Parts: sequence; structure tokens; C-alpha cells
Amino acid sequence: MKKISILSLILSLILSTFAIANEVNIFNARHYKADAELYDKFTAATGIKVNLINGKSGALEKRMIEEGADSAADLYITADAGRCGAFQAKGMTQSGLTSSTIKSSVPKNFRTSHWVGVAKRARIIYYSPERVTGAELSGMSYEGLADPKWKGRLVIRKSSNIYNKSLVASLIANNGKKATAEWAKGVVANMARPSEGNDRAQIMAVAAGEADIAVANTYYLALMLSGNKGAEQQEAAKKVKAFFPNQDGRGTHMNISCAALVKGAPNKANAIALVDYLLSPSAQEHFTNNTFEFPMIAGVSPSPLVVNNLGLDFKQDLKTKVSTYGKNQAAALEVMTAAGWK
Amino acid sequence: MKFNFWYVSSLSISLIVAIPILTVFTSFFQDTSNYFEILKQTFFFEYIFNSLTLLIGVLFLTFVLGAGSAYVVSFYQFPGANFFKWALILSFAVPPYIYAYSLFAFFENYGTAFTILKYLFGDGEYNKHIPKFSGMFGLILSISFSLYAYVYILARSSFLYQSQNLIELGKNLGFSKFKSFYSIILPAARPAIVAGLSLVAMETLAEFGAVDFFSVNTLTTGIYNAWITFDDLAFANRISFFLLLFIFILFLTENLSRKKARYHLEAKGGFKKKEKIKLCGAKSLFAFIFCFSLFFLSFLFPLSQMLYWTIKFPENLVGIQITDLLLNTLYLVSISSLVLLFFALISNYGNRVSNKKTLNALSTLSISGYAIPGVILAIAFITFVAWFDENLIKALGFLSIKKIFIGSVLGLVIVYFVRFYSLAFNGIKSGYEKMNISVDESAYLLGYSKTKTFLNIHIPYLRNSLLFVIILISLEIIRELPITLILRPFNFETFATTAYISASEDLLEAAAVPSLCLIIIASFFILLTSKYILRDNDE
Amino acid sequence: MNNNFLEIKNVSFKAGGKTKVKNVSFSIENKGDIICLLGPSGVGKTTILRTIAGLEKIKSGSIKLKDKILSSAKDHIEPENRNISLSFQENSLFPHYTVEKNIHLGAEAKKLNGKKKVSPKKIIKLLNIEKILSKYPHQISAGEAQRVALARSLVTQPDLLLLDEPLSNVDQSFKEEIQVQLKKLLHDLKITTIIVTHDSYEAFYLGSKCGVILNDQLKQYDDPYNVYHFPNSVEVVNFLNRGILIPAKVTGENSLENEDLGTIKGNFIKHYPKGSDVKLLLQPEDLEHDDKSNLKLEVVDRKFRGTNFIYTLKTTTNHLIPVLVHSHHIHQHQVDEKFGIKRPIYIDHIVCF
Repeated sequence: MKKISILSLILSLILSTFAIANEVNIFNARHYKADAELYDKFTAATGIKVNLINGKSGALEKRMIEEGADSAADLYITADAGRCGAFQAKGMTQSGLTSSTIKSSVPKNFRTSHWVGVAKRARIIYYSPERVTGAELSGMSYEGLADPKWKGRLVIRKSSNIYNKSLVASLIANNGKKATAEWAKGVVANMARPSEGNDRAQIMAVAAGEADIAVANTYYLALMLSGNKGAEQQEAAKKVKAFFPNQDGRGTHMNISCAALVKGAPNKANAIALVDYLLSPSAQEHFTNNTFEFPMIAGVSPSPLVVNNLGLDFKQDLKTKVSTYGKNQAAALEVMTAAGWK
Repeated sequence: MKFNFWYVSSLSISLIVAIPILTVFTSFFQDTSNYFEILKQTFFFEYIFNSLTLLIGVLFLTFVLGAGSAYVVSFYQFPGANFFKWALILSFAVPPYIYAYSLFAFFENYGTAFTILKYLFGDGEYNKHIPKFSGMFGLILSISFSLYAYVYILARSSFLYQSQNLIELGKNLGFSKFKSFYSIILPAARPAIVAGLSLVAMETLAEFGAVDFFSVNTLTTGIYNAWITFDDLAFANRISFFLLLFIFILFLTENLSRKKARYHLEAKGGFKKKEKIKLCGAKSLFAFIFCFSLFFLSFLFPLSQMLYWTIKFPENLVGIQITDLLLNTLYLVSISSLVLLFFALISNYGNRVSNKKTLNALSTLSISGYAIPGVILAIAFITFVAWFDENLIKALGFLSIKKIFIGSVLGLVIVYFVRFYSLAFNGIKSGYEKMNISVDESAYLLGYSKTKTFLNIHIPYLRNSLLFVIILISLEIIRELPITLILRPFNFETFATTAYISASEDLLEAAAVPSLCLIIIASFFILLTSKYILRDNDE
Repeated sequence: MNNNFLEIKNVSFKAGGKTKVKNVSFSIENKGDIICLLGPSGVGKTTILRTIAGLEKIKSGSIKLKDKILSSAKDHIEPENRNISLSFQENSLFPHYTVEKNIHLGAEAKKLNGKKKVSPKKIIKLLNIEKILSKYPHQISAGEAQRVALARSLVTQPDLLLLDEPLSNVDQSFKEEIQVQLKKLLHDLKITTIIVTHDSYEAFYLGSKCGVILNDQLKQYDDPYNVYHFPNSVEVVNFLNRGILIPAKVTGENSLENEDLGTIKGNFIKHYPKGSDVKLLLQPEDLEHDDKSNLKLEVVDRKFRGTNFIYTLKTTTNHLIPVLVHSHHIHQHQVDEKFGIKRPIYIDHIVCF
């Protein structure tokens, strides 16, 4: 009897995996509650059920690759163009992620036919106004982080972090690998401590006086200022100011949260519909107010916290295509590791 | 030769366990290296260095904490001794990754410690004076406080069974308490302590969540990175060779020590209930402070950090489907324990009635899964299913079977099976070992058939062991992270995965609610088992 | 057609792939008989019991109970279908049931349809285990456990009861009493029993027949009296260890000659030609003490056995001869003293090899 009940249990497990429905399957490496809320709204509006598998991007990618053509994955949503680019390079995406909405609302620099940016962020410099003068910062660029004047004053997270890999990849695209290798050595020499912690920890290190400048993404400061991280961090964030580098040149390094159309996606149309929805003004507004990213489309304003504390009036680097981040990733990691960047 | 049911079933169980392990090896021998030598050299030494540092640190701490607390609790009577006896195993309820979250959050800049200081003393520049526990040091602390209970439990049971003679011998020779401890008591308990330490070492090498959180590159995360991020199987092969070497040594050490420990237990000549030494004054205070600090640091501290966050950020309670998470967890727990128990019973029963050496060897093979880190098992499983599907199923023109195994509860249960089979098998085995084979034979002679003997004699006798095994498996699955993370189906989260996902997105305070639930449920299960783990008036 | 109750024919007993006892044949004639198997430990006595019970299989010969084949090269009736009870030497009680439940389980398991039930109470009382009925097996002593196992076997009223060293863990003081009770009980219940033991006194007392197993063979299977007085081989003599063999020369139809003891007369149980060199079995009761005798030997040891003394005397050829003397014999001989042996020496039955 025990055997039979186990058998039927297994059978029901197998059968349940074959259920067919009006749905879209997302391999999701972005885990904001706000995203989940958006998916619920999408289901309410269209009747398309959103199935999620959450995880870290590496594991998700590996699973899609191993599942191959049989994968149920439709969309791969992750933060950072470098990841989407690398995933495309593995032949795991397909073209066709194009719709009139996508074409009309997303600047060409932030999309390919395989993947599309749904929100933007910039990787910028944070500084302590008490300890860093305007003169020191004047004309500051990413390249300037290697300047010996910052010796013992800089914090930045580990080299294995994708944001850093993409930033360094863009430097390689602009300055070449050799120059970037030298630059990486300079950065390591300037570090106030070996790399550790996430972007927010870098900002707090400046607030706490462990360092004078930090490199981190834009939305982290807004998140701290929002009070969502508690009153102490809200106070700490006020001790730190944002600086957009490379304003005199190509502009500040931009990155995206992106959605990639997975090869062999069983619900391609639904996947495109979902991307269209994420690019709608209401969804974009939801993003900006909850994750504090920059909107991808024109006509939607970033969160007031971002506008008031970081400013909007900065030059974005639209010259370096985000699709190069993926290509130069391995080289980026190589130069950082060679420089002893933890 | 007749068809032998026991042989076939034991063989199939070993095969299921062996498949992912073999896959790890075979897939690593495909040379697809496209990675850079310089990186490999750098990383390779870093992985080995980190793993060794981590191992040494954790082993040292767990030994001091585990053996020390076991000694104090088993030999001395002081206020709270009976409470600490079981309270110290509650640390099992806090997996290393949740401990890591708490540790990091408490000591980070503007973290909980800062808040407390500010509340007590007003505004101030406290950040500089708050020690930072991140990276390797934080990792060692997280793993040690979570795992020292392995050493505690095994050392304690060994101390309890040490004959009174041994301790009286020390007194007779005029040894001081300390000298008695390190020259008589400790060596006698060595096999048990070594067994506990090897378990700790294996868990440390297999640890994924905490290692990932502090981004310390160990051999296990190295394999994961080389395989997943860089698709560099040749490099992964080299790392895993070293890892498996480590593990192999540990596996042998653990098995041998266990056998020895059992031998020591069986030599119970002169066993009588020990009179605990009553401590008073400063000594009693010292013992109390030691045990209380350990209990506080290992259990109360992470619990209160999670509780504090849950209260401080109540918005995280909204939108989290606690019932769903609970049901998912219980669903996994019940199916897995059922399957594990079923097969472990068959295999144990088979070994008992047929008593063949080949069967014994097969069962040793089939319990080796617990030594392989979950991350590696999960990936190996996916790789194997994909290979099998591609080369056999599709080649024969059948529909793909991938969906049945990858991203399904079935797949999860299979990999849990491989990882936790030893728990079930050894749990039932130790139950069976206490019952002479002649008990079965008398049952036959009293007219019971084999089936009736199994159902009417074995099952009632093993009832406690079975219960214990179920609870152990449940505890492991509740805390399990990497396998669940990699293999779970769509829209399927457990407390562990929810906590991990939030934490990986820098949303530690959102990880608090699932972590808190996990700790509470795990504590509940531990309290259910404490009776079995800590029995001391047996025999 | 024979009417033996149990018949074992040409069976080689094996355990764990090793042959323990070769080519054994013996039988129990009547229902209710008690026989004993005697032998040193490790010789395979337990294996014989296990095989009869059906726990081990055989490759040759046959075991028949009441003319029904239980085991042979082709046939094997499973132990649960044999109605044979085996009481193990080690603790085989169900550890998770109380003593009382253990005893009752035996009766429940076998449907005692139509059989006259023995009252478990009677057995419990007889084996003196009333006080421990509510205890669990791990709470009682080894001797108690053996008695409980015995009780469990008895209440099932088996066709054949096999007891493996049933009293090995029972206190010496209590042993004789139990032996008496056990014999009476088995007799009353008419339970055919095979008892395995290494204690020859126990075997001689309990068994109507004794089998001596030595060096993978059943050496002798006979009445206890015959096993003692007419051992059929040197090995049996050595095993029983109650006599010694001394060299002698046959001098006539009913006499032989030993260097120290001189002429010994008696009835040979086997014919030896005049002049043959033989080894004569001398048992303690064969020689008598006589202070006046001029045949004197040196005392090397004296054992006080309560009812008697056993002196060990040394011959000039360094043989140690046991001599039994009544314990009321007033004057005792110390070690190193001389001890007179009554002549002429007459032995009722002369056993030689």
C-alpha cells in the first residue's frame, strides 16, 4: 500500500509539470518586491500568469543552458548588461525581442534584438564633503580613481562583482586593455581597505570615515535616504554626496536592468507583452519609486529622492555601447585580478 | 543464481547515489578550458589557502566550544547546567548563512551595534570603534557557532559513557582537574571528538550560503564559479580533485573514528552513573558564564537580530507568503523523509536478512553522498540528466525527460536523497544494531513470517529511530540551501531560499522574516529530538 | 519405515559457508525424550540447533521430524512453519516489549489450535520470573533473560525444543534447582528437547542420551552412563577430563600389567591379544585407598569436593592418576606425602585404547 501511494505521488508530480496554461516563465535574478508587484499587475491586466524562478544569475544561466531547447524559460531578467551580453554570446538568447513599444521607447544604446534594458542606473563616485574638496573633485573621471592623491582614501567592492566588471569592461572599450591594467594597479594602490561588502557598505564606509570616496550605483544612496534601511542609515547617507564622473568627456558609465528573450522560449509572444508592459509609464514609475533606478523611457521622472539628492542633469555615456560589457568581461576580470584586486 | 531482491535494491540505491558523484568526475575530464592561466594560478592558490584557513579556524573554534561546553555540562553541577544541556544544541537551528547575516548586520557601519550605542550614549562616532566581522573572520565565526553542536553532542555522549574508573584514576594519581581533563578524559573521548570534527569539516567544505555571502572563495565556491560562471570544466576538475581529496580523508577519518567511538562505548565495564561535581562560588559563576555566552552567541544573538529587524521593518511582513513557504517546506520534508525512510529501511533490512559482504560494501558506497557539497551534487545532477536525455532518450526518439527531473519536486527529492541518505541509513542502522539477529530468529521460530517479523517486531522496535531520522532529515531540509536554490520549480520558495534571495539583493532586513521562521521551526524540531540526542540514563 | 520422532541422517552442518560438523546421524526415538549435545565451545553445537530449527540450510542428508522431511538437499521448510522452538544463548528477547509481553507473544504467534494449553502462569512461576514480568529486557540480568526466553519457548508447546546453553548465565547456587525443575517440567509437558551444553554434569543429568561433538564430528551418541563409562575414543576421554590414560600391557583374558600399579584385573569390554601394548583408562573411582597397602604413590594435589576428595597421584613415569576418597575419611594426606592404593586392583570394566 505504501508503494502504491508513493507511486501515485510521483506520478502526480510528473504530470503536474506538463500542465499547459497562458503563462510566461521568467528566470529572475532581480529580487525586488517591487518587481513581484509589477508581475502581479501584469497578470491582472492581461490574464497571463507569470511563473518565477528566483536565483543568482550564474545558477539560473547554468540551468537554462543545461535544460537547452527543453527549457521552459521565456525571459531572463537580470541586473547588468554585461550578463545579458555574455548570455547572448553563449547562444542562449534569440532575436525577436522587438516591438513598436520597445523600438519607440528604449534608446538604441540600451537594447539589442535579443535583450532590452528596462531600467537604468549609473555607477558613480560618492564622497565625503567634509574631507574632499571641490578642487580635488573637479573634472574627476573613472580614470582619475588611479590618481595617487586618493591613496588610502578609496573604497570599492570586489572584482568578482558584475557592476565592477562592466565598469572595467567599458574602460577597456575606451582606453584599451593595457592602459586599463595600469589603471587597475593604481586603484588597488589607493584602496583604504581590501575590497569587501556591497555597494551600500562602500557608501557607509565613507559616511563612517573609513574612506573619503567610494564607487557605487546610484540607487543605493536613494535607498538609504528613503529610510527603508532605518533611521541610522538615512542619517549616514546625508553625510555623503554624489559625484557624476567623466562629465567633461564621454559621460558617466551607465548600466541597465535587462530582460533577455531565451532561445526556444515557449511563450515568446507573452514574453514580449511582458517587456512591453515593463516599459509602460506606470510600470516605469513603479520602478523608479521603489528601486530608485532611472526610468528607461522618456516622460517618466526618477524618484524625487534621486532628483533632489543626486541630480538629473548629468551627461550619460551613450557612446560606449552596453553590449560591449559582456564582450570585455573576461578581460576586465583578468586585469583586476592581475592587479591584486580582491 | 536466483534473483536476489535485496541485492538488486541495494545496488539501485547505490547507483542513484553514485550517478552524480561519477558525473562530477567524468564531466570534469572534458577539456574545455578557455580561461586564462594567470587567473587560474591566482585563484587556485587562493581557493586552497582560503579553504585551509577556514577549516583550521572552524575546527579550532568548534573544538574549543564543543568539547569545552560538553566537558563543563557533563562533569559539573552548576546553576542552569540542566538547561544548557539541551539549550546548547539549539544552535543547530541557525544555519551558517543566517548567522552570517546577523553577524554582518550587527557590526556593520550604522548597524545594530551602532543603534544600540547611540540609544545608550547618544550621538557619537561609534563606527570606528565597532569591530567589523566580515570576510574570512566573520565566516569562521558564523560556521563555528552554527556547527559546534556536532562536537558538543558527540563529545558529551562520550564523556557520559566514560567509566567512573577513569576519572577516579585521575584522582588516584593526584592529577589536577585540568590535567585529568587533558591527559585522561580528553584522550578517551578522542574518537568521538574526531568524528564530530570531521562532520564539522565536511559541512564547512560544503557550506555555500555563508561563504557566498562573505564572498570568500573556497574550493567549493571555486568549483561553482569555474563551472557556472566560466564554463571551465578543466579548471573545475583541478579544484574538485583537491576538494574530493580533502573530503575523502575526512570521510575515512569520520568512519574510522565512529567505529572506534562505538568500541569505546561498548567497553562499558565499570559503568555507573557518575556523580557530577558540584561547583560553587566563582567556579560555578565561570561555568555559567561560559555556557550562557555560548548559548547567547550561538542562538539568542542571531534570533534577536532577526526579531529586531522583523519589528523594525514590519513592512517586510506584508507580501511574504508565510503559509506558502511553510507548506512548501513541509511538502519537501514529508516526501523526502518518506522516500528516504522507505529505501533506508529496505536496504537495512536487506543487509540484516542476507548478511552479505557485497551488500555491506554497496551500502557504504551509498552513504558517501553526504560528503559531497550540495552545490556540486545539484549541478552534477542537472548535467547528468541533460546528458542522459540528449544521448539516450532523444536518440531513441522519446520525449525529453528533462522537465520531469530538472525544476521539479521529483528532482529535488532525488538529490536530497543522495545527500541525506546516510542520515536515514545510519539512523536506522544504529537502531538495528542494538537488536541481536537472534531476536529475528526467535520471531521466526515463534511462527512469525519474515514480513510479519518486519512489521510486528522491527517497525515497533525501530519506531524511535525512525522518528529521530525523520526529524533529522526535516531539520536538514529546512536549512538546506544550494540544492533547493538550483533545482526548485517555478514559483516555489522555501524559508531558506527566500532568505538567501533577499540577502543576495542587499535586502538583509527582508531576509529577517523568513530567517526568523526558519529558526523557530528548526528549534521546534530540535526540541522534539533533544530527548533522543541527549538521552543519558539509557542502559 | 522407522518410527523415530526425530531423525538426522548424514547431515553436514554449515554456518557462514564453513562446515562445522560433518556427516552427522542421530535420532530421538520417542516424543518427550531429552537429549544433550556436549562439546567444547566453537565446535558447532549451536550450528546443529540452528540447522534443525531451519535457520541454516543443508546440502546433503536429511532431517526428519515425525517422518516429515524438514531439511534436505532439495527441501527446506521455513523456520516459522516448523513448530520448533530455539532458545538462544544470547539475549533474544524483543527489546521493546516487557517480559510478560515477550512470553505472551510466543503463545499468540502460534495458533495453539486444539492443543492443550499450558498455563503460562505455571511456567512463569516455575522459572521464578514472576517478579520481573513488568520489566524490559535491558533491565534484567542475563540469567533472568535466559529464563524468560525459556519461558517464551515453553508456552508455545513446540514439537521440538532446542535449548542453547540454557543455564550458562544462571547462578551456580540456583542452577541445580533449575535443572531439576526444568527436567520435571519438560517431562510433564512431554516436550522433546535437545539441549546444548559444555557442562558434562548438566548433560548427564538432563539427557536420556548424550552426543559428544569433537573435531567436527559426532564422536559418540549414547546413554550418559555409557558415555562416561565406555567412552569410545581417546578424544572423548580427554574432553570429559575425568580419567587418564596410562600405558599397560595385556597379560591375559582379564588382566593387564602397569609399571607402577602392577597387575590389574577386570573385564575387558573389547578383546585385545595377549602382549599388546594399550592405554588403560583410569577413572577416579577405579582405585581405592588403603593405608596398609605397600603400593604407594606420591600426592601432588588434593581437591576437596565437599562429598569427596580427589587426590592426584604421580607415578614414577610421571602420569597423574586421580583417586576418589570419601570425604569422611578422617586422616588426610598432604601434598608430598605417600598415598597407599589397595591391591589387588580390580576394575569392573576395562576400557583400553
